[in-house]
Amino acid sequence: MILRLLTYSRHAGAWAATVAITLFGLAVLTFVIGRVVPIDPVLAIVGDKASPDVYQRVFIELGRDKPLYVQFATYVSGLLHGDFGQSFVTSRPVLSDLLDFFPATLELSTIGLLIGMVLGIPAGVAAAYWHEKWPDHLVRLIALVGYSVPVFWLGLVGLFFLYFKLDWVSGPGQLDVFYQGIVENRTGSILIDSALAGEWEVFWNAMSHIILPALLLGYYSLAYIGRMTRSMMLDQLNREYVLTARLKGASEFEVVVGHALRNAAIPLVTIVALSYGSLLEGSVLVETIFSWPGIGNYLASSLFRADMNAVLGGTLVVGAVFVFLNMLSDALYGVLDPRAREHLS
Amino acid sequence: MNISRWANSVALAAVLALSSPVWAATPANTLVVADAIDDVITLDPGEVSEVGGVLASNQMYQPLVSFDVSDPTKIVGVLAESWTVSPDGKIYTFKMNPKATFASGNPVTARDAEYSLRRVVLMKSRSAFIITQFGFTPENVNDHIKATDDQTLVVEIGDTYSPSFLFYCLSSYVGGIVDSKLVKEHETNGDFGNAWLKTANSAGSGPFVLAKWEPKQSILLKRNDNYWGEKPGVERVFIQHSAESAAQRLLLEKGDIDIANKLGPDDFDAIAGNSDIAVMNGRSGTIYYMGLNVRNENLAKPKVVEALKYLVDYDGIAGTISKGTMEVHQTLVPNGFLGALDYKPYKLDIEKAKSLLAEAGVKGEISLDTVVWNTPPYTDFAQAIQATMAQAGIKLNLQVVDGQQWLDRYRNHNLDIWLGLWGPDYPDPHSNAKAFAVNKQDAPDGSESLADRFGWDAGDLSKQAMAAVREQDTQKRKAMYEAIQKTHTDTSPFLYMFQQTRKVAINSKVKGLVLGLTFSDDRYWTITKE
Repeated sequence: MILRLLTYSRHAGAWAATVAITLFGLAVLTFVIGRVVPIDPVLAIVGDKASPDVYQRVFIELGRDKPLYVQFATYVSGLLHGDFGQSFVTSRPVLSDLLDFFPATLELSTIGLLIGMVLGIPAGVAAAYWHEKWPDHLVRLIALVGYSVPVFWLGLVGLFFLYFKLDWVSGPGQLDVFYQGIVENRTGSILIDSALAGEWEVFWNAMSHIILPALLLGYYSLAYIGRMTRSMMLDQLNREYVLTARLKGASEFEVVVGHALRNAAIPLVTIVALSYGSLLEGSVLVETIFSWPGIGNYLASSLFRADMNAVLGGTLVVGAVFVFLNMLSDALYGVLDPRAREHLS
Repeated sequence: MNISRWANSVALAAVLALSSPVWAATPANTLVVADAIDDVITLDPGEVSEVGGVLASNQMYQPLVSFDVSDPTKIVGVLAESWTVSPDGKIYTFKMNPKATFASGNPVTARDAEYSLRRVVLMKSRSAFIITQFGFTPENVNDHIKATDDQTLVVEIGDTYSPSFLFYCLSSYVGGIVDSKLVKEHETNGDFGNAWLKTANSAGSGPFVLAKWEPKQSILLKRNDNYWGEKPGVERVFIQHSAESAAQRLLLEKGDIDIANKLGPDDFDAIAGNSDIAVMNGRSGTIYYMGLNVRNENLAKPKVVEALKYLVDYDGIAGTISKGTMEVHQTLVPNGFLGALDYKPYKLDIEKAKSLLAEAGVKGEISLDTVVWNTPPYTDFAQAIQATMAQAGIKLNLQVVDGQQWLDRYRNHNLDIWLGLWGPDYPDPHSNAKAFAVNKQDAPDGSESLADRFGWDAGDLSKQAMAAVREQDTQKRKAMYEAIQKTHTDTSPFLYMFQQTRKVAINSKVKGLVLGLTFSDDRYWTITKE
């Protein structure tokens, strides 16, 4: 028992070290890239027409007069105290910006991923089961379109039909103007906030706004998850244990879902985690078209304004998300794969 | 069977949820404006600068004087009721309008004007250049901008200038007067209340007050219930961030927004037949031009510069790419400003350009690094120009970069050609004349101009431009700018191409929108919704 606890804590220690090193490396890299790009953040603030006096004032305010390593040390020591610095665009601490913008991406991506999983995995299974038959062709076609059609185009077409023509969903933005400011911002997610407050009208309005961009993101993760499920299932269905199961008289459902899918599920976890990660980075294009105040938009607009604290903070959050998802999928491995369980203990 | 019934009910529920009532119109008491506002970094009138920030700030703060939008040469009082100028043109005395009050209920006095104008200079605000060109410095401003009593503000400028020049500068965004009593209460560490005014509060006398600014998302303004002028027709103005032209168009057509400020040429085409939407044409002082860096040995030759001016298909680009959102304009003063001139000597003429190049002794191909902002219309312009220039052996090496790099490159002279724009900061011809024609050594504040950036010695023109801004007689001043412009267009390394025609698409229920003269000067307080 004690031995097991020790092993666990050693694992946890190793994990913590890996996470720390990863995030530190990310911070260094982003910091250096942020300093070598040919963009002058002072100019981004004061504009082209300001006098040299003004330029100098802001130059010093930003700490650009200090050597690079001092700037970095200041930044890192801030980080260690949970201080991501201040964004000059929003004049707020980057941390509170992130707490504001990230939940918008989180709710969008989570719904998107759920759509992708719920539709993508069965589609992939069906495609593999009916290999080279029409379901397979259909799924491959859908996946191909999802892969190759630019997302902004699909977004606009979606808006045109579902919002403009059919009136099924609401347009860009998180809420209608009518519902702005009714629900107090508690978690940053309008869906959760409105549900907590019992403002169901606001909730449904938010839902009608989120559904289209979420479907869009869902479609893209469906394309990926579906294709990967298909190829993994194909691999599994050709194994001998499947033949054995069939010979032993197991039902087709049992064979496909109970045996093959269970084995395919292990690598699928990684696939799903990866696509969740890439959704959580925030899709800049989707967020732009749908005026969605998410992390992708935040990062992109900060980048164009050379708001380096915001870019660094956002990048670290995205990095942390990936690390966390990696950890999560490793943990799930343990649950799904007996060998990994054994290895752990 | 079971499964299909289950699926049916799920589908039904989904359809019901999705088709829950969608509000197809904006609330009648709220004006909803879509614009790209994610670059706004402050709403303090002393330092606003981004288009969206100026737009919002102009609804909340008022200047001493402004101009009549329908006739910009006419100066009208806003917070000042009357004014006099001393015979030597250096001392301006403003009498405040006794009726004016701030949203807080405090009266607007000359002390507030004194505080507000000094504040811009003392803060070393990035927008201070508009008024520091009159010789104000943090050291002397307390002597030069003075309230002698509650009703009288005396402004002493360092040099004699055309009075309209000072008035136009005071009418610009930086001249917004703040409630000094209120702002002083919120000063921290000598910041002149900047931190307080920057993001969350307003202290103006204008028709609207700030309700909430969500950076990068929206700006909500509320009607000022204490407004001393005519009550605005809408209770709230909601400026919503929306960067994408096609999405804005759908929102507008659907009735979810009232005003679309960022529609592209194609989307104007698409809404042309829609009777629920009106398109307003406004003026814009924005000029699109190419700056040629005369530090390049080829561009140092006047004949080469002239040849390039014949290698742009002005009419073609205005017709096909900009589709009525721009018109050909080839001088430094925009239409609508004092001294504007209809002078268009250049059109596409490959043969003429070739012979000019031959006269200049150019043999073979010239390759020029051309820096272009990675956004329309610049990229479209650049490709069209590249094609016509190539026909005369000028190879434009297009370097498409992001907006910040684009600024950086030309400030550091690290290019041969810059494809860009210039928007005047105040509707006086000097804003442009100073930029394009005045060299550093002639500028009272010693600031580097566009002429300096592109390595051009404007010679006599530089002195003429400074003489024009000092001319007291408006008619003479006008004639001076006309003369300057012709020579400038003929000899300068600036290749003027177009002036923007502002187009704003609005829901036809919106009445009374007044478009301003420079960018982001639109007036929302005159609007009513049917």
